[in-house]
Amino acid sequence: MDKVFAVIRREFVERVRTRWFWIGTILGPLLMIGIIGFQILLAGRTAAERHITVVDGSTTEFGARLASQLARDVPRFHVTRVPRRPGAVGALMTEVGAKQLDGFLLISDSTIEFGAAEYRGSNVSSVADMEQMESALRRLVFAARLERHGIDTLVVQQAEIPVHLASHKISGTQLTTESGTQSFVTGFGMAILLFVAILMYGINVMSSVLEEKTTRIVEVLVSSLRPFQLMIGKVIGAGSVGIVQLSVWVVSAKLLSGARHLFGVGAAGVGFEFPSIPAATLVVFVLYFLLGYFLYAAIYAAVGAMSSTEAEARQAQVPVQLLLMIPYLSFFALLNDSSSPLAVWLTLIPFWSPIAAPVRWGAARIPMVQLVASLAILLGTVVLVTWLASRVYRVGILMTGKRPGVKELIRWIRTA
Amino acid sequence: MTPAIIELDRVTKRFAGHVAVDRLSLTVPPGVIYGLLGPNGAGKSTTIRMLMDIYIPDEGTVRVFGGTGSGREHSSRIGYLPEERGLYPKMRVIDVLVFLARIKGMDGRLARTRAQEWLERLGLGEWQSRKVSDLSKGMQQKVQFISTVLHDPDLVVMDEAFSGLDPVNAQVLKDTVLDLRRRGKTILFSTHIMEQAEKICDYVCIIARGRKLVDGTLADVKRTHGGRHLVVAFDGASGDAERIFADTRLVKKADGTQQAAELELAGDADAQEILKALVSSGARLARFELAEPSLNKIFIDLVGPEAATAAARPEGAIHG
Repeated sequence: MDKVFAVIRREFVERVRTRWFWIGTILGPLLMIGIIGFQILLAGRTAAERHITVVDGSTTEFGARLASQLARDVPRFHVTRVPRRPGAVGALMTEVGAKQLDGFLLISDSTIEFGAAEYRGSNVSSVADMEQMESALRRLVFAARLERHGIDTLVVQQAEIPVHLASHKISGTQLTTESGTQSFVTGFGMAILLFVAILMYGINVMSSVLEEKTTRIVEVLVSSLRPFQLMIGKVIGAGSVGIVQLSVWVVSAKLLSGARHLFGVGAAGVGFEFPSIPAATLVVFVLYFLLGYFLYAAIYAAVGAMSSTEAEARQAQVPVQLLLMIPYLSFFALLNDSSSPLAVWLTLIPFWSPIAAPVRWGAARIPMVQLVASLAILLGTVVLVTWLASRVYRVGILMTGKRPGVKELIRWIRTA
Repeated sequence: MTPAIIELDRVTKRFAGHVAVDRLSLTVPPGVIYGLLGPNGAGKSTTIRMLMDIYIPDEGTVRVFGGTGSGREHSSRIGYLPEERGLYPKMRVIDVLVFLARIKGMDGRLARTRAQEWLERLGLGEWQSRKVSDLSKGMQQKVQFISTVLHDPDLVVMDEAFSGLDPVNAQVLKDTVLDLRRRGKTILFSTHIMEQAEKICDYVCIIARGRKLVDGTLADVKRTHGGRHLVVAFDGASGDAERIFADTRLVKKADGTQQAAELELAGDADAQEILKALVSSGARLARFELAEPSLNKIFIDLVGPEAATAAARPEGAIHG
């Protein structure tokens, strides 16, 4: 046991001492700050002032009303109105080209009749601009149509009061304060963290195995330790580095989200709140991270032992990486319908459950039976795969030369 | 009789249809320097690896320190220097040494103190906090050697101990090995360079193609396999030496150059007759000496020139 501890210690200390550990640990939170900063930037951009001209081809006072209403509804729109006449469009195009104007809206009587209107401008790719303009138009046309049929303006105004749908997650039978957006953010955050962490620390194990192989120090090591002790020590050592790094990230994410108001993000009205993570979710997350990491780290140790060079190992680990990508890419499907057969399968298949199950849990509670089954299957697979990997590892670390084929691998596993 | 430190009993190891070691038996008594000699590919490294529990023998038994079980179970009492040297290049020298001692079950703090002492002794004191990769190859070899003896093992096993060492380091290693023996330790090392083995070994075992050809004390091996030997060196003129050495009534086998030769005397030939013949043919002698045969000569006689050039090394998996 002391020997395994010596291996764990070396693996941990040597990794924490590297420049890359510190860069990664600090870069993680910086990246988060970057994302938040980007949101602020986006929020700022959405709030940009726009100069818009309404080209009025209507025969009623609809055009004039629309222009003044639009300006009132969206204060950042500066709206002017010109009557439609030959040559007007051409002149406005020149103004847009000269950046004196952002765009112009073409309306006519058929706008009320058939809902037809056209906007031409340099800002059409701004989803916010277009959405706000369209919703203002929709309301105005709606009101104009009702009024045309003699309905009281007051009634119309009342009819216009919009509906706001507030979403709150029910967890088990408990109503939470978590909104739909927050559930999404939790799920998304967990998917990214799990994917990156399992992959990164797994690959660390692989390159550590490879280093011992290429420097040939492995021969001294296995004359003192059983290969299994060496592999387990390595996996636990690299894993504890991962736990330290993840903890730093999660804590700094919490702190950052607490300090969000300092950046003025809330004021900008961006619909993003860092979710509060319930203890149960944290437990599920940590359990699946640990088991998932052990599963993939053992595979990566075997891949490292099978290869002789860094390039060879990189190539050999591609299938492993793809395997882990399946649940990561199924993320949207999982959140859309977290009780679909696909979601259930993803939760039960051990190579996928480490990412799929926590994401599903984040969206809606998984039935207890499924959760227990998923964890049991995963745990069983971890034991089995570690056993298989240790046999491949034991033979592989002393091999040089060509990478073994499947047939040879089976032979390695069989040899006593 | 004191129990043997190492006992191999009819040990066999095969690799993909090729027999690397074939029913090899040998016994290493305590407190000696034991040389495992053979050409490249003779099975020396494979034998050592079976001893160290890195390979498992297909047949036969390995006993270390009189008990059952091979190297790894006794790893705290064994120091192993493999043929292919290697350390963690990115680790600090002192940390590598402490780590390697710890996985042999040594206490970390004690290992640190001892490692510092050893580094000082071998002139690497100032380098202890540097990365291994900053050291020259010779220095790295010293560090590796320290890692072999740091935990004060009773048995030191060195595969191709002297290969790749510069003369200064070779001398340091030799002195340290002799010092270990003085302190009652047992040393087993393999080499294909006979001159080194001859200088320090008490016991030798010569193997080729995985089989033992001869073993015993160096003196016994020389007595039983040597015959009577004559070393001749000329000072300029060698007279009719070529013809005289070719006379099978006098000389069984000659080995050497124009200026110096090692002769094995035929049956009951008299060395004085050769001396007389050489002098009367006009040769000027710098040296004329009845001698023990060199280990190198015995080795070549036993192994044969074709085996000395070694069976081709098996591919991939197998080293040595």
